Amino acid sequence: MNMASTVPVALRDGAGDRDAHDRVVVSCHGLKRSIGAQVILDVNRLRLARGRIYLLSGPNGAGKTTLLRVLAGLDRASCAAFQFDGEAIDLAQYPQSVRRRIGFVHHHPLLFSTSLHANIGYGLKAAGVARAEAKRRIADAIEWAGLGGLVDRPSRALSAGEKQRVALARAHALDPVLYLLDEPTANLDDSGREMVTRLIDAIAAERRTLLIACHDRDLLGLPGVVRLHMMNGRMEEIL
Amino acid sequence: MELIETTRQALRLLFAGDAELWRIVWVSLKISVGALLLMSPVAIAVGYLLATQRFPGRRIIVVVTQALFAFPTVVVGLLLYMLLSRQGPLGSLHLLFTQTAMMIGQMLIAAPILVAFTLSAVQGADARVRETAIVLGAGRWRTALTVLTEVRFGVMAALFNGFGRVISEVGCALMVGGNIAGMTRNMPTAIALETTKGEFAQGVALGIVLMVLALGVNFAMSWAQGAGAQPQ
Repeated sequence: MNMASTVPVALRDGAGDRDAHDRVVVSCHGLKRSIGAQVILDVNRLRLARGRIYLLSGPNGAGKTTLLRVLAGLDRASCAAFQFDGEAIDLAQYPQSVRRRIGFVHHHPLLFSTSLHANIGYGLKAAGVARAEAKRRIADAIEWAGLGGLVDRPSRALSAGEKQRVALARAHALDPVLYLLDEPTANLDDSGREMVTRLIDAIAAERRTLLIACHDRDLLGLPGVVRLHMMNGRMEEIL
Repeated sequence: MELIETTRQALRLLFAGDAELWRIVWVSLKISVGALLLMSPVAIAVGYLLATQRFPGRRIIVVVTQALFAFPTVVVGLLLYMLLSRQGPLGSLHLLFTQTAMMIGQMLIAAPILVAFTLSAVQGADARVRETAIVLGAGRWRTALTVLTEVRFGVMAALFNGFGRVISEVGCALMVGGNIAGMTRNMPTAIALETTKGEFAQGVALGIVLMVLALGVNFAMSWAQGAGAQPQ
C-alpha cells in the first residue's frame, strides 16, 4: 500500500487534525482524471481544513490546474469518496449547492464586458439575491478589494493585477467556503502582487480555505500556509 | 440619354413620396424583419447548442447547415410552393400568395445563415466566459445569455447577414408571393417584373433603396465590429 507515502507530510501532522470533524472542508479519496489512456490526475487523498492556505506547487503539467478545475466542477473526474463541508457529494453530479460554496478564479481571470458592478454582482444575481442586498454586498466587495477608484473604468482597461482583484472581489461577494485560485500572483508587478497577497491573507483570516496553485515565494510567508506538491498528476511528499 | 432621364424619374419617385413605391419598400421590410425576428431566437439557440454541446450527429448537422448556405432560394420557393399549393399537404391553410408564405420562405432561407454564424461566434468565444459564468453559479440560460452577450458582435453579424440575404432574395418571394401589387410585391420582385414591363423608373428607384439598405447594413456591421474588436 503506497497510499501513506503519497500523503503529504503537511497533511498528516497538521494541527487541524485535532478536531478534524468540523474543520475539514474537503476530504476526498481516489480522485482520478484521465484523457484517453493518459492519467492526468491521480490524487489518493486530499484533505483541506478550514482557515488554511494550501499552496500547490509543482512543474507545469503536474496537474495543479486540473485539480483546481475538477474541484470547481469544470472538469470531470472520478472519485471514490468526496466530502464537502461534512457532506458526502457525488462529484459527477456537482450540485449547485456545492458550486455556490466554492469560488474559482482563472489564471488570467476573465471579466465580462459589462461594468465593474455587474461583474462583481454577477454571482449574486445568479443566486437570486435581492437587489438591495446585492447592492450592499457589491459595495462591500468593492471596498474590500480596494476597487473604489476603478468603478467607472471599462474592464478591458484594467491591469492584470486589477483584474485579479476584481475577480477575487467577485468570488468574495458570494462568500464561498473554499477558494480555488490558479496562479493569482503570476505575471503581476510588485504592487499588484502585494495587494493580491493581502486579499488572500484577508480571506484566510475570515476562516475560509484557499487552495492556490502557485510558484510565488511571497505567499509562503502568510500565516496558516500548508505546502502541497504535485508531480505527474500525483501529490508528492514535501521534504 | 435614356439612362439619365430614367434616373431622374427614379429620384423624383423617391423624393416625391410615391405611395406605390414606398408601399413596396414597406412590404419588403415588414416581411424580412418579421422573418428574422421570428427565426432568430430559434436559430440562435440552435447555433449556441451546436457550439456548446457534444452529441452524436452534431457534426453532420453542422456540415449540412453550412451546405444549406448554397441552397438555391428558388428551390426553397419550389418546395414551399408544393407544400402550400391547394393540392399540397398544407394547402388547407390557404397561405400561397400571401405575405405569410413569403415570410416562411425567408425564415427558411435565413435559418442556416443565422445558425452557422451564431455557431462560429460562440465557438470563437473565450472558453473562460462560459466557465466564469458557471463557477459564479449561473444556470444554463444565464450562461447562454452571458456567452451570447459577450459575442454580441458575432450574433449581430448573423442577423445582418441574414437580413442581407432575405431582403434582396427574389426567387422564393416570387414563387410563393406571386408579386401581387400592394400585397406581396416586394422590392426584388417589383424590380424583376416591373422592369420587364418597361417600368424602368420604379425599378431604378427601388434598386437605389435596396442598395442603400444592403450597403447600409454592411457598413453598420463593419463599423460595429470595428468598435467591438478592441482587445480585452
